[in-house]
Amino acid sequence: MKKNRKRASCFLAIAALSISVLLTGCAGKQKEDKGDKLNVMTSFYPVYDFTLKVGGDKVNVKNMVPSGTEPHEWEPGTRDIASLEESNVFIYSGAGMEHWTEDVLKSLGNKNLIVVEASTGITLKEGHEEEGEAHKEEDKEHDHGEFDPHVWLDPQNAKKEMENIKEGLVKADPVNKDYYEANYKTYAEKFDKLDQSFRDTLHPLQNKSIVVSHEAYGYLCAAYGLTQVGIEGLTPDSEPDPARMAEVIDFVKENKVKTIFFEELVSPKVAEAIAKETGAKIQVLSPVEGLSDQEVKDGEDYFSVMEKNLVAIKDALE
Amino acid sequence: MEIFNYGFMQRAFLVGILLATVIPCIGVVIVLKRLSMIGDALSHTSLAGVAAGLILGINPVASAAAACIIAAFGIEAIRRKLPRYSEMSIAIMMSAGIGLAGVLSGFVKNSANFNSFLFGSIVAISDMEMYLVIGVSAVVLLVFLLLYKELFYMALDERSARLAGVPVKQVNFIFTILTAAVISIAARTVGALIVSSMMVIPVACAMQFGKNYKQTVIYAISFDVVFMIAGLFFAYYFGLKPGGTIVLVGVLSLLLIFTGKKVLGGKG
Repeated sequence: MKKNRKRASCFLAIAALSISVLLTGCAGKQKEDKGDKLNVMTSFYPVYDFTLKVGGDKVNVKNMVPSGTEPHEWEPGTRDIASLEESNVFIYSGAGMEHWTEDVLKSLGNKNLIVVEASTGITLKEGHEEEGEAHKEEDKEHDHGEFDPHVWLDPQNAKKEMENIKEGLVKADPVNKDYYEANYKTYAEKFDKLDQSFRDTLHPLQNKSIVVSHEAYGYLCAAYGLTQVGIEGLTPDSEPDPARMAEVIDFVKENKVKTIFFEELVSPKVAEAIAKETGAKIQVLSPVEGLSDQEVKDGEDYFSVMEKNLVAIKDALE
Repeated sequence: MEIFNYGFMQRAFLVGILLATVIPCIGVVIVLKRLSMIGDALSHTSLAGVAAGLILGINPVASAAAACIIAAFGIEAIRRKLPRYSEMSIAIMMSAGIGLAGVLSGFVKNSANFNSFLFGSIVAISDMEMYLVIGVSAVVLLVFLLLYKELFYMALDERSARLAGVPVKQVNFIFTILTAAVISIAARTVGALIVSSMMVIPVACAMQFGKNYKQTVIYAISFDVVFMIAGLFFAYYFGLKPGGTIVLVGVLSLLLIFTGKKVLGGKG
């Protein structure tokens, strides 16, 4: 009697499982009607934003890294790869930011996919060697390689990325070439304006050192003559070593740094510990690697976030 | 000394030494009960608790503690079903914890919060965490001293403990809650990585010298405190990651003890 009941419940469990698998399988197959627009997949936020701006209403853009997720940590899931198979264009920033692209692209069956590495043609900066070394042991998975991938933080580089994206879209959809060109032109002016306002605001300031939670701002600093002191190296989220923390604390005290910058998508614990020790305050400085849900709701984009960054840096250095 | 000029190092030493005192108390009993891996299993389930807390909007430290307690009782329950394979209960609970943490973390909107739990760090401890460690340590030490005899009997052999009149069920219940509390708070402050090694390695070292239960407990605590202090010093002066350094100091010491004993034993 007991045995029978056991067998019955076992059977029921298996049946329930298989039915649910079948159901989800069916739901996944329903395709939405995409019309004759170009289907574009982008890796993470900045290239997504630039593609939206150039592509306008001629493209369907789908971003892979969801909002609120730190892209250094992220890897594509099976569904992302499936949608890559159905896309016309794939755009990524490159320079070692998306370590998974090579493997994923090799495994694709989609031979017509146009791949754009948006950072092509930008002079890359080498990553901080000392820090890079320490990271390699900690997290082999998100090894950045030898270059600093955060190119888009210099508006001129961002403009170059958008240009590369435009070229890619034109290649995939030559009919709408004029449309893409016109959009690019509009935003190219905006990038120049942003660049100019960074220059005008930061140039007169005496103080040039910012303390940041991870050294993502190399291109930004190089463009405007700033220096960054990073609590951690190029990748966020590894455990800091105490010697480095002591160094940063001494630096903050000696140079009377008012503000420790941290990133929204990374835990502020370490920045808080240093701020507490030195009496500095903590403040968000976005590396524009991704927006939070709230920022998406508020309609923020690359330009608005960079303008906020400018205000934050100005406050910290004045 | 320069190392003590920094507030974050002072906090690291305070929290580290407290945990190094409390964790081996739990560790001795756990090792004797053949449940050495429980630290790993519980710290992984505590991550599942963190994810659940973040999704439901509950304080993640509380939900981590709750998950740990549930998992600890789960291990007890499975252990009673499979008395001869107690390590299997841990493997089952650990798989459940890892699976749940993996799936739930996919629903966590703000990954920054989740990561801060994954990479708990002894050099960046907030005030709240420090008070929690002090509170939990005090309670655990008190209970450990009060139930000293009962835990000793039970650790050696539950059946004879029952015959000797120890209320095994109740004591087990209290001990399970203490274990879960210590592991969840330690995973939060010093990182999931070093909890289970702090629990087992000092006990292994102490067993090489301790002639009886009391000695083993005292040696284990002394070893753990020494490992913690030495680990923090090495990490500071050589620029190493503290969590891993503390673990390695323990493992190396154990190896040295083994070889030292062999060399001396060969002579004698």
